[in-house]
Amino acid sequence: METISILPPELIRMLIAAIIIISFLFLNAIMMGYLERKIAGHVQRRPGPMEVGFHGILQMVVDGVKLLGKELLIPFNVDRTLFRVAPLLSFTPVILPLLVIPFSEKLQARDLSLGLIFIVSMGSVNVMALLVAGWGSNNKYSMFGAMRAVAQSIAFEIPILLSMLAVVLMCNTFSLKEIVGAQQKIWFVFLQPVAFLIYLIAGVAETNRAPFDLPEAESELTAGFHTEYSGMGFSLFFIGEYTNMFIVASVATVLFLGGWHGPNLPYGEYLGIVWFFLKVYFLLFLLIMIRWTYPRVRFDQLLNFAWKYLVPFSLVNILITAVLVKL
Amino acid sequence: MLESDFQKKNRFFLNMGPQHPSTHGVLLIVLEMSGEYVLDPQPVLGFVHRMHEKMAESRPCVGFMPNTARMDYVCALPYNHGYVSLIERKAGIEVPERAEYIRVITSELNRVASHLLWLGAYLLDLGAFTPILYGFDDREHILDILEDITGSRLTYCYYRFGGVSRDIDDKFVASTRAFIKRLRERFVIYEKLVTKNIIFIKRTENIGVVSPDMALRYGMTGPNLRGSGIAYDVRKNEPYSVYPEFDFEIPVGSQGDCLDRYMVRIREMEQSLRIIEQALDRLPEGPVRAKVPKNIKLSPGDCNFAVEAARGELSYYLVGDGTSTPYRLKVRVPSYSNLSCLPELGRGILLPDLVSILGSFDLVIPEMDR
Amino acid sequence: MAPETKNFKEDILFHEFNTTETDYDQRGYHLEVALEVNQVRKFAQKAYDEGFYLVFVTGFHVLSEETAEGTTSGLNGVYQFARYDRLYRIKGHVSVPEDMSLPSICDIYQGANWHERETRDLYGINFEGHPNLKPLLLSDEDRDFHPLLKEEKKLKSLEAVSWAPEALESVDADAKAPSADSIDS
Repeated sequence: METISILPPELIRMLIAAIIIISFLFLNAIMMGYLERKIAGHVQRRPGPMEVGFHGILQMVVDGVKLLGKELLIPFNVDRTLFRVAPLLSFTPVILPLLVIPFSEKLQARDLSLGLIFIVSMGSVNVMALLVAGWGSNNKYSMFGAMRAVAQSIAFEIPILLSMLAVVLMCNTFSLKEIVGAQQKIWFVFLQPVAFLIYLIAGVAETNRAPFDLPEAESELTAGFHTEYSGMGFSLFFIGEYTNMFIVASVATVLFLGGWHGPNLPYGEYLGIVWFFLKVYFLLFLLIMIRWTYPRVRFDQLLNFAWKYLVPFSLVNILITAVLVKL
Repeated sequence: MLESDFQKKNRFFLNMGPQHPSTHGVLLIVLEMSGEYVLDPQPVLGFVHRMHEKMAESRPCVGFMPNTARMDYVCALPYNHGYVSLIERKAGIEVPERAEYIRVITSELNRVASHLLWLGAYLLDLGAFTPILYGFDDREHILDILEDITGSRLTYCYYRFGGVSRDIDDKFVASTRAFIKRLRERFVIYEKLVTKNIIFIKRTENIGVVSPDMALRYGMTGPNLRGSGIAYDVRKNEPYSVYPEFDFEIPVGSQGDCLDRYMVRIREMEQSLRIIEQALDRLPEGPVRAKVPKNIKLSPGDCNFAVEAARGELSYYLVGDGTSTPYRLKVRVPSYSNLSCLPELGRGILLPDLVSILGSFDLVIPEMDR
Repeated sequence: MAPETKNFKEDILFHEFNTTETDYDQRGYHLEVALEVNQVRKFAQKAYDEGFYLVFVTGFHVLSEETAEGTTSGLNGVYQFARYDRLYRIKGHVSVPEDMSLPSICDIYQGANWHERETRDLYGINFEGHPNLKPLLLSDEDRDFHPLLKEEKKLKSLEAVSWAPEALESVDADAKAPSADSIDS
């Protein structure tokens, strides 16, 4: 007898994938938080967390418990709805891009034919979350941070798009699976080094990481847009930020570093994920090191850099790519 | 920059401080802003005002010694130095030579420690989280060295009228020499990590330019003045203690921007190391403390003594009345005059630039408020 | 290489005021100028023209006394200037009249802005022409409380706190003769 299933198998598969991805999100945030503190420590010639667990491995777990237990302060005279909604707005849209990223040949939640555009559009929603947080905090410093975040994000989206466009011109497709597939012979980082560099720099700026972390510039704005948040609201912002970083690194891996391609492994279609993660975490390691090494740029210098340098360079890059592809 | 009507109408006030990560201490600056531009910064002082000058009038002059260190706790030994030299000048006390050398060595060590702290804090303001830990690492060595002989890590009360309270030993000399060698190697790291960093240069070049005339009208002294090209250092201009015997240079900048002030302080640290080395080489034997009467009577009349603290010229002005209690003691602190130019200097600048300027002035608020 | 201080006979730049040369090693400054209230601004202007920088503006409180012009308030203002290029410190003092006001030198030396505000906080001397005499070190509620004014029984006369020629020898004698009770190290 035919089992009549109410839910089509595709939907079940997607649900399982979504659950795995969301739990991976939190795990990733914990791992990246630990990684950040250890790397920060070693860059600053100190060991980092050492007490809790072996070499501080359980530090982030304990911190999570602490943050969960904190009182959710809502300051006087804020817009209560906006204040509460902002962390959720920051956290939710970052889950969606993970559904289209090809972790390995067979491991991808859903392969959209416009996967790349989907990812970029989800990235823009993050700006709104910052704006809502800044406005809803009823605090001039937070408003400052939010304004800066908006200007910065708008400015750096264009170089991101243009550098992605260079890769798309070479592959003729927006689907991430096919882009990875096209890198079997040679990774695109060797064919498009300029685009790779521009994408990484603009990605750092999109996720508000130092040296472009003006929206949360600690020494000028006393923590910027998330000044008034405590406990879980604060940690949702940070999980959102770390996930954003992960997405930036994954997209860079997919577009330029060959995705899950690597020396052959048994069950290669599934275990390609190992190479994927190695590459992603290498990029994340770079991003974290950069944060702890460089001072912050000034805001108008940042925007100058985006509009006067990154955009022209990426346009020229596309032009050259288009010409070469045509030939 | 400020021409649009929208910007002129939409002004708002932002309180920077009194609790703020980058005003070094408890300082409130009321900023009238339009967008990101600061139209009028007005510092508000007095949060740490403890009335040291009144305390000086209510106890014998020897009882004021601990207060001198509490005014500028980051670089306390020159404050000690100024006060004991003031009383020695007033009462005509001679100081043995070994004590003078020890005073110079410890003051210069303290100056290096103060500049290392300034370096870390300034870069922290600019967003670089790492150099402060490197600077504090080096500073810990100095604090350990000084703790062995003075007994305190920060608020030293080591000098006495007529000398210093304890003699230094070989361990001090050896560890100081080892430290000098180590710090010279570390300067290379600072040079590569910070001074040649393009982001740092862009944050500090041509920002907060202080002209020599502005410096004169406000009475600025110290590295802030030397960044503008005027080579005024109390150790050379109005020599005290045994400074005439040492060979050191006064670094000056050319333009008076934040980068020049930064470079002046870095070079000053190197010159301080030179002074310490020469002093250690020539350290004479002898007593470290002259015999002075228990109750030093301050003869009627006024007296002034100026020393070079880490932040500029520190002057003590005393009016004596024949008893052992000062009738009036005025402490002229360098950061006070240095900060007073902020309303003129900070007109029409960006907020991050204001942070950069404040950091480059090297302010310690408790010394301003006394 | 200590900078040379010029011979004062050629270098006195303040002829029009009531100046006295002082012994630098004893007092720490080279020239003492006794000012009248209406000479304060001229003195500051002269100092600025000659290239001095402002060290401080402050005051001290002595007994008020009767003079030919009337009763003084007992407050005295002290102005100190020095130079960047060579060693030359000058100090000017002025006796504040009974109406407790002195002319402000803010427009000549902008650094005096804060010094005068502080002196007003601590002593109550009003500086005419000062753009903004808000309390600087004290809080706004303590505007009218002047902490450094001395109580009646602690006040001394101006003579008791000024140098007297005879005092010089006795100071030297005190310092050189070792006294019986010295401090233990």
